[in-house]
Amino acid sequence: MPPRIRLRASQLLARPTFPLQCRYASTAAATTPTSTPPPPQRYPTTQPPSYKPPQFRKSQLHRTYTSLLRSTPLLLLFQHNNLKSNEWTSLRRELANAMRAADASNATHLADSIKLQVIRGSMFAMALRVVEFWHPETTGPSRLTHGLSEAAYKAAKNAQIKTELEPLLAGPLVVLTLPAMSPEHLAVALSILAPSPAFPAPRRRVNPGYHEPAVLSAVQKLMLLGARAEGRVFDTEGARWIGGIEGGIDGLRAQVVGILQSFAGGLAGTLETASKSLYFTLEGRRQVLEDESKPEGKEEAKEEAKE
Amino acid sequence: MITRYLASVTTKFNPFTPGAKTARVFLANLPPNARQNMQINTTVLPRASVEPATLDIKFKDGKEMTIDLEKMKINDVAVEVDRHSRMLQRQEDLSNS
Repeated sequence: MPPRIRLRASQLLARPTFPLQCRYASTAAATTPTSTPPPPQRYPTTQPPSYKPPQFRKSQLHRTYTSLLRSTPLLLLFQHNNLKSNEWTSLRRELANAMRAADASNATHLADSIKLQVIRGSMFAMALRVVEFWHPETTGPSRLTHGLSEAAYKAAKNAQIKTELEPLLAGPLVVLTLPAMSPEHLAVALSILAPSPAFPAPRRRVNPGYHEPAVLSAVQKLMLLGARAEGRVFDTEGARWIGGIEGGIDGLRAQVVGILQSFAGGLAGTLETASKSLYFTLEGRRQVLEDESKPEGKEEAKEEAKE
Repeated sequence: MITRYLASVTTKFNPFTPGAKTARVFLANLPPNARQNMQINTTVLPRASVEPATLDIKFKDGKEMTIDLEKMKINDVAVEVDRHSRMLQRQEDLSNS
């Protein structure tokens, strides 16, 4: 056994260096100065500590809603006034059918992710505050970056600051979430859930299932309140405006390209005008000079002919 | 809230204003079969509108009630509506017996 003598760091540094005959594991560990290791993680990586007890239904709703708000670029908010269960099922069936038809016509695969989901207004408002006011990547280095952490709670706690959607989050609410910014799907959803002159409901001949009494009474009881698109809040007219964008996101891109092209054409034309006008001036001057010289030549030729 | 004696409910509100909450909760308190028994007209105003929220209730005996949504919350509205509904209920009970 090597001698177990505890040496202080100062003594170790002051010790003269001489070749050691043998090194023991215990002394070798003591001589190497080690940097302070990070404090041990006392929780599994998949379950970071939560500020409120995570087993509560409210905590899980909060987690679900933050994830929902972060993942949906387009969300419609409705009030539902005492829908019966058969009305809900028939309305969801009609919506799913319409979305599948919209998928087929646009060659997309969004139908399975477009959902009509009843929410708890107050929890949704809290989740919205976390999503809007808490940005873990900008606020500073923190090991916990999930929405249930203490930092998130403190960032969202300030009741003085309100989100734009907050006045709408009262009463019985249901949200329609779209996983992508797709005005085509939104237009179809609006024609099913909130028919208006711009988005008429499907005709009885085209879609007899929509004209069942359960669906019709369900539609009567739904009330479109607003929309949240790309973090901005829209009222009912704004939601219908988004649905009215023709050709969807590609149509918008085509419009932008058209504007840029016309602008580039105009710019090229403006730059060309100076050189063009110079060319025309010079050309005009050349022609004038030629005309002046030609009659003299002709007259001379005539005179020569007379002689 | 007794809704059996309501004949029609007409409401108009901008959902982004505080007064709209009372009107919306009133609509949510109506029973599931309300649309078969009474006339319900709802107008959702755009966000920029400054028009005050209105809630007009008409009873089956013809009495009309205009609720001031600036002052009254949903409980006050329920008290006001029930006061007249109870009277109609009593009349009905007396005439039936």
